Amino acid sequence: MKKYISLIAACCTMTLFSCGSNKQSSVTPPDGGLDKCTLRFSWWGGDDRHEATLAAIDRWNELHPDITIKPEYGGWDGWTEKVSTQINGGTEPDIMQINYDWLITLSPDGKGFYDLNELDKFLDLSGFDNDTLSFGMIDGKLNAVTVSICGRGLFYNSEIFRRLGQDYPSTWDELIALGKPFGEKGYYPLDLDIQSGSTAWYLAVVYVQQQTGKEFITMDGKLGFTVDDIISALEFYKTLEENHVTRTIRTRTDEDGNAALYQSAEFINGNIAGVLEWGSAVGKYESVLPDGVLEAGPLLGDGNGNTSGWLIKPSLMYAVSRNTSHPDEAAAFLDFLLNDASCAEILGTTRGIPASRFAEEAFEKSGSLTGLAQESDSLFEQIDTVTISPYMELSRMKEFYNTAIEKISYDSADIPTAAQELYDSAEKYLEKIRK
Amino acid sequence: MKKLPAYILLIMTAAVMLYPLLWLIGASFKSNSEIYSTAWFVPEHFDFSVYKKAWQTGTGHSLGKYFFNTFMVILPKTLFAVLSSVLVAYGFARFDFPMKKFFFALLMGSMFMPAVVTVMPLYLMWSKLGMLDTYIPLTLPSLFACEGMFVFILIQFFKGVPKEFDEAARIDGCGTLRTLFYVLLPCIRPAVVTISVFTFLWTMNDFLTPLIMINSTEKYTLALALRTSVDSTGQGYEERKIIAMSVLGLIPSVTVFAAAQKKFVSSMTAGGLSG
Amino acid sequence: MKKHPYQNPTGVPAYTGLLLISPFIIGAVIFTVYPFVCSFILGMTESSISRELRFTGLKNYAEMFRSDSFRNALSVTVKYALILVPLKLIVSLLTAMLLNAEIKGMRFFRTAFYLPSILGSNLAVVIMWQYLFKSKGLVNQLLGLCGAAPVSWYGDSRYALFIIVLLRLWEFGSTMLIFFTALRDIPSEYYEAARVDGCGAVRSFFSITLPQLKNVIFINLVLQTIAALQEFNAPYMITGGNPMKSTYTIGMLIYDEMFAYSDIGSANAVSWVLFAFITLTVVILFRITGRLREEKI
Repeated sequence: MKKYISLIAACCTMTLFSCGSNKQSSVTPPDGGLDKCTLRFSWWGGDDRHEATLAAIDRWNELHPDITIKPEYGGWDGWTEKVSTQINGGTEPDIMQINYDWLITLSPDGKGFYDLNELDKFLDLSGFDNDTLSFGMIDGKLNAVTVSICGRGLFYNSEIFRRLGQDYPSTWDELIALGKPFGEKGYYPLDLDIQSGSTAWYLAVVYVQQQTGKEFITMDGKLGFTVDDIISALEFYKTLEENHVTRTIRTRTDEDGNAALYQSAEFINGNIAGVLEWGSAVGKYESVLPDGVLEAGPLLGDGNGNTSGWLIKPSLMYAVSRNTSHPDEAAAFLDFLLNDASCAEILGTTRGIPASRFAEEAFEKSGSLTGLAQESDSLFEQIDTVTISPYMELSRMKEFYNTAIEKISYDSADIPTAAQELYDSAEKYLEKIRK
Repeated sequence: MKKLPAYILLIMTAAVMLYPLLWLIGASFKSNSEIYSTAWFVPEHFDFSVYKKAWQTGTGHSLGKYFFNTFMVILPKTLFAVLSSVLVAYGFARFDFPMKKFFFALLMGSMFMPAVVTVMPLYLMWSKLGMLDTYIPLTLPSLFACEGMFVFILIQFFKGVPKEFDEAARIDGCGTLRTLFYVLLPCIRPAVVTISVFTFLWTMNDFLTPLIMINSTEKYTLALALRTSVDSTGQGYEERKIIAMSVLGLIPSVTVFAAAQKKFVSSMTAGGLSG
Repeated sequence: MKKHPYQNPTGVPAYTGLLLISPFIIGAVIFTVYPFVCSFILGMTESSISRELRFTGLKNYAEMFRSDSFRNALSVTVKYALILVPLKLIVSLLTAMLLNAEIKGMRFFRTAFYLPSILGSNLAVVIMWQYLFKSKGLVNQLLGLCGAAPVSWYGDSRYALFIIVLLRLWEFGSTMLIFFTALRDIPSEYYEAARVDGCGAVRSFFSITLPQLKNVIFINLVLQTIAALQEFNAPYMITGGNPMKSTYTIGMLIYDEMFAYSDIGSANAVSWVLFAFITLTVVILFRITGRLREEKI
């Protein structure tokens, strides 16, 4: 594909101008076989992450004056667009921070990024367990390394629960039962949406995964649910709406417009008590409520000790460009980012709690593992989790989930019809992108 | 007294138009929760230190740097766009030449394609030319009248100027270009000012193209810098600082627009040539 | 029966015009023809995430015409343009006339009226719209005072498009500015003569202002139609295409195919259909207004 676009570009433009190569002649091998060079490293994030990463790069440049790291960073808006354009044009940075589902969109065959297995001379992966490594594996090629892992759990406004004299639910039935006491006061215990996070569908998936022990979509991109399982999931969502656990999509849209929950007056003023969110992203909700009010709630079970089915994913990953002219140097820098103790200390939790054992150890020593993200993390450590398939995170798939939820919420389709539609379109799309 | 109804109407409408700006300025002193939970513009507290933070930006470069970068793009771009659009529009409006209809169709057609699909091929071209991460992809196209819309606007304004003007100029011995610059251009000055203002304002807000063409954060324009601190997938961010940055970022646009107003008078009406 | 194929001013050779537009010709080849050709080829490939580079002919087009989301987006976009463009032209023209009056402080008002267009997609705009149109928002409160039932602006597929139209009406600055610029060019003697002849304001509007503005009305009509048919940003910010895809425009579909779904082939195919549709619309506009404008290019 990428080759194809370049080919077209070459046909249409004057190919006389050759691509400005970054390759610099190596003067001396200064760093144990590493060349003197400049590497581009790109990431997105907020101020904290920028500041910490720039400091980490300074630290690297002190240790390795011959390998200069050139930072390229920005906010999240448009970053996917930027990186996918770069990769299509073959001009991506040498090292990139990537999102989990980009593995599918940017490297469907495992050839979109450098195979990190080939770089074991400079990149020590022994700090990662095999499960963690497998997240970045496509067709036997290690496309990306997981920086951190997080789960998608429940967080509640403790203030509202205290006011109503309610405890956090620990089973699905308890959650449904909360609809009544909350509804009497005009509150809702939980918010579920059909925005880019598709929380409505994700919670329904967790519920069915726990009941059936199946995975909605398998790691290799096949539907694990049958139409009946999808029907159960949609029915579960409808039950939540009917029991006043969550707003109908129409009410939610009327009240919040297109805003995310953390930008919603309903949430900030305490009419909505709970949210389903990745541990790595919960800070946004925390910061619009008074200090300490948002708390992590139990991961719901069936009441008989089954608490499985909750979803975890790599919150961020690093990949190396397959077009890099300095793979060894890139690997050495990656090793520094992932494993180096001094780097871990500088970076802190700006990319979540490090998945690398070395970094985590260094990090625990400094004793700063606190906060909601950490609380959520420890809840997930106590249960059997399901690693989300990158296929489930694809935007087009989310579009299918959201359409189904919206239709049954607006009663424009009955549940079996919506489920069949969801099943068919997901099946068709997955087949298309797997081949 | 006759003007009173007009004033009342103007003031009421202006309030509707200005309120978001007022709110924006107020919001630069608010906490995140206050920003999202009230539409009233007066903040609970005033803390001007947010503007100091906004100037420092927290992205590794100061807002002054981003302002400078933006002007490095805007000034040549505006100059190029105006100059090339005027020449081309003059050609279309006043002369006959082979394949004129075809070229005019091409000009109109260039406006019909959504920009998102032309970004990728152009990106590849600039990449082959080794010009990524420079301002050339952002400014150079303007030298070739690539804003079909501006040419289209100017053509229509040129047509509003009576042809007798050109002929009189020719009789006085003016050549093609002298006629343009000394006779016609003063007549359509308001339109020229209008397209300069458009170029300026739109370039200030331009996001996708600079984001894709520019890699180095130190070369970012203001519109990019405004989103550099925002990670909507990650942890929280301080909205007021970003709002304060955007308030500062509005100053050039508002100033340019206000200043341009003096120039909206053409020589055709003002110079007494009319008739 | 023309005597000369090229009717230039006396003594001006035929190539002068070509020379003047030569920057455009060069630019059009590089910045229009080249990306268009690329896009046309890409529109016939299956470029989404497949292992091989495959030329699929018109498959993307066939799939598009079969898909509900494309048909829906097209009808939303057409409806949107049909509502927005006439309203925007009328509002902009009336405001431009109001702002053309010579009264004290007018420069302030002109800047104020243009301000929404400067703000563009600023967060302030998104939040203001929420506070106006959410279920307990200002508009519904006002309706309540008049005894009317609250309207579900965001959540009802019959009304959501309307709030986007309102946003674009509110950001009417560029259209207004083009009208304003042309209004300044109408010699005030015309109006004075009309007044002497006993014409009222309404009649001089129809017999002087409108005929004098026919060129710019045409400019704005064409430009606003193109912009409305390509609309992306306003629904993207305000409604996200919801509810029930009732504000999901072709522009949003193209963007999603291109970047959210990485389906470059489809994105380009949809773009070409949009291109053809806009071309057709503009050609019709040129034809039906041709006689009124009394001139051709």
